Amino acid sequence: MSLSTLTKPWEAMSYGFLDGSAKRELRRKMLKSVAVPGCQMPYASREVPMARGWGTGGLQVSLTLVNPQTCVKVIDQGADDSVNAASIRRFIAQVAGTPTTMDTLEADLIQSRHRIPEEILREDQVLVLQVPNPEPLRPVQPNMSIARQMHADADYGRMWLQLYEQIVRSGRVMQGASYPSLVNGRHVMTPSPIPRWDVPKLHMARHLTILSAGREKRIFAVPPYTRVEPLVFSDVPYKVEEHGHLTCTRSGTRGFFMNEIPQDDGSSAFEVSDSEWGVKTIRARDGDGESRGETWYKNGEMPQ
Amino acid sequence: MAYVATRGGERAIEQSERLFREEMGGFDRDRVEEVKKSLPYLIDRVMGEASLYDEDLAALALAQTGGELYEAVLLLRAWRTTQPRLQVAEPVEQDTLFTHRRISAAFKDIPGGQVLGPTLDYAHRILATDVLQGALYAPDPVEPADTPSPAYQPSVSAWQSENDLLDPPADDPTKSNNIPDLTREPLLFPSKRAHTLQSLARAETGGVLALGYAAMRGYGQAHPTVNELRLAEAEIAVTHPDGRQFSAGRVKVSQAEVVDKKGEKLSIGYAATFGWNEVKCIAAATLDLNSPGAEKGSATEEEFFLYHTEGVESSGFCIHFKLPHYVTFQSSLDAMRDAKAKKAAKAPEPSSSEAVGQTKSEPAE
Repeated sequence: MSLSTLTKPWEAMSYGFLDGSAKRELRRKMLKSVAVPGCQMPYASREVPMARGWGTGGLQVSLTLVNPQTCVKVIDQGADDSVNAASIRRFIAQVAGTPTTMDTLEADLIQSRHRIPEEILREDQVLVLQVPNPEPLRPVQPNMSIARQMHADADYGRMWLQLYEQIVRSGRVMQGASYPSLVNGRHVMTPSPIPRWDVPKLHMARHLTILSAGREKRIFAVPPYTRVEPLVFSDVPYKVEEHGHLTCTRSGTRGFFMNEIPQDDGSSAFEVSDSEWGVKTIRARDGDGESRGETWYKNGEMPQ
Repeated sequence: MAYVATRGGERAIEQSERLFREEMGGFDRDRVEEVKKSLPYLIDRVMGEASLYDEDLAALALAQTGGELYEAVLLLRAWRTTQPRLQVAEPVEQDTLFTHRRISAAFKDIPGGQVLGPTLDYAHRILATDVLQGALYAPDPVEPADTPSPAYQPSVSAWQSENDLLDPPADDPTKSNNIPDLTREPLLFPSKRAHTLQSLARAETGGVLALGYAAMRGYGQAHPTVNELRLAEAEIAVTHPDGRQFSAGRVKVSQAEVVDKKGEKLSIGYAATFGWNEVKCIAAATLDLNSPGAEKGSATEEEFFLYHTEGVESSGFCIHFKLPHYVTFQSSLDAMRDAKAKKAAKAPEPSSSEAVGQTKSEPAE
């Protein structure tokens, strides 16, 4: 036995950019976060070649999970071609040699900023959500150490009070995206700023969702088949965005989350937010074959 | 018509980087050398904030980013991520620092003497415009003192604790390999002492100054006296696997002790960083001095200033607002419109000018 048989030749960087100790820490923290759904696990969070706040948390998780066979999809605001999604996809492919795809059904791992695709994810798929602010209590308690104690005590009274105040003031809950949700009946989490439309997709989902905030150094997870319940009062039901009746002007698809595009004449046009769903719809319309999978929403409604 | 939205993004980002780089053009080792030689204090600042001591890499980062400081620091931090932690050096004692400059505002003279060393403190800040007319800027040579000041000096606080003016911090028996490392562990609160000092050492200079200055102006409880400010070189002593200790070289460091004079004894704040950066050390030491007992949420509370002076995180989050946010925006618009419609349905004579969104703003995403 010699040193050369025990070591590898020098390389400028490790496979997947992160070194072994960083990946090891991330794996341990991911396992912990799966074990206690919705509970935020602090991690060291290394600097990566992208600015903080640009998906560095999601990226560290993705880089730890991939192998050269993992098919990776990256979306930002639902779109594969968004500039930052393109940048992250290119980086992962470059440092980890992974194949990439835009097809939700083909992907093994989907890194996403602010959306869950419209097609139902399977048990063998992992969704990695980029998280700007992991702390649902931030609006009522900006101090992280106090907030941590509040989670430990399941002290969510001020959370409820905030929602109640919104109803009193504005007649409804004004929370837009990142709707606070109770995971597995114990921890309130922020589902990253996905729209309210996407939160029900997490409830008892078949796939694993890992949420990672690189700048704030927290990981949390929604394991498969876990309850995710938006905080609502029994007499004021949860309301998703009223997009169920909207039609995409480019693809003609209807009943999905839309982007509103202001028009010169003062009106609005709508485009489906999940860009690949739009592409697939157009392909089917043009007779290029059906590639669409089953969707969570049917006819603009989430089946109960 | 096929909806081929793809690839557009990839081409655009490639071209935008080319546009940025076009102004600086290509560069080679010579430019890196020139940056290193001509801008040592900038190199120091960048090395400190990157928590990576390598003048060549720091100069390279500056050349590669055209002097965009936040980008330069990020480049170095990201490079640091790829490097294994091979060894932990021995702790450096203050009296083993090879000292270039050491001053105290607390006493007229101190054991070891006031050593002015290199500084612009007493320079008249007049722009040397004649250089632009073609003149050569040639500083006069330094005339050495008759008796050189001692290279190694004790700290002023050591004298103060001998004289019972100050309670020295308790001895920390932690072996160097077990010292908590901020780059390998998350920062949690109340923060470990090592994490606090490491955070301050790599904090962004401007951020530390802003919050430190707020404390100095009166938003803190303690008014700092500069007990000692020192620019020095520290020996990096590492242990060979066979047990021998050897020096891996010297690094430039700066440190500040500031004290507060309330009560029967002095209280002390401390900060040190890679490179020579006096403003940062004094401001950081002032924050350290003010942090015990600071009110939660105040600028002198540990959690507040350590989070908000982290330059890579704060600058990254600031520029992330350039990313598209139309999904979250859409989601809020939906709630706003619905609230407005509800209000209009309730009131028989609508006063549409009234604002709806008076709820507490959501945190930034």
